Amino acid sequence: MASPAPVVDRHATQPLIETLRACTHDVFGTMVGTALAEGTPLVGDALRPQSNVVGQIGFGGSSSGLVVFYATFAGARAITCSLLGLDTADEPSKPEVADAIGEITNMIAGSFRTRMATEGDAWAVSIPTVTMGSDFYMTALTDGQRTMLPFRMDDHEIFVELVITTKVRRT
Amino acid sequence: MRFLVVDDSTTMRRIIVNTLNKLGYTEIMEAGNGREGLDKVTEGPVDLVITDWNMPEMNGIEFIRALRAMDGKQHLPVLMVTTNAAKDDIVEALRAGVTNYVVKPFTSDTIKEKIDAVLAH
Repeated sequence: MASPAPVVDRHATQPLIETLRACTHDVFGTMVGTALAEGTPLVGDALRPQSNVVGQIGFGGSSSGLVVFYATFAGARAITCSLLGLDTADEPSKPEVADAIGEITNMIAGSFRTRMATEGDAWAVSIPTVTMGSDFYMTALTDGQRTMLPFRMDDHEIFVELVITTKVRRT
Repeated sequence: MRFLVVDDSTTMRRIIVNTLNKLGYTEIMEAGNGREGLDKVTEGPVDLVITDWNMPEMNGIEFIRALRAMDGKQHLPVLMVTTNAAKDDIVEALRAGVTNYVVKPFTSDTIKEKIDAVLAH
């Protein structure tokens, strides 16, 4: 017999989305040294960003889900150069880019966890994983709510996604 | 002034080393986890340790506990740089023997303030 699908309360998850947005601005403003412009959030999984470098961290506790960071190769290189203090003409290696995107994802998700802890949400977070490539699709094995936050960093589009599953409503 | 930076992320080590360089500190050793950190501490004098919390093999808390159990290292200043900033995390870190705490994301001013504070401790 199949389990009932999780029911996500949009009103309940809105504060989490706003917190994640604030954490992303904070990490980029402080560590990358650049301000981000915001786009309109996308709810659901119909529209997937064109991304080559994806960092993700899972969290679990009072609720569970994923924080996912998406960038193009060019965007990920620009972020890496800023973090490492490299000249923009420098070409960071793939391991350097992967590690930098993992660290960015870690800082966003870690800040998110800390801020939500002050609201009573106690979560454990996983270590970051980073996928790099040119033709892949990230999907979460959950029926939870997916909200994609688009940002623009100079000429680069980046996305931060919150995939969240709340408690199952039993009828 | 000799530093030891312990972090599994090469990115974060570079960020911290670059920050220390800007502050005028050039004698810096690096380690990728707590176990490597303990090896580095025995290789030569260290005046201040900057460590991450979440690391493979031996995490920051285990590293600090092991460090504090070593002869002559009970009062070595240790600065923890981490995203783990919930109240319970900070209490656990202080109990393990952390001297001071930096929450990621951080600015170079924050690092400077914390270094000054632990050296004055």
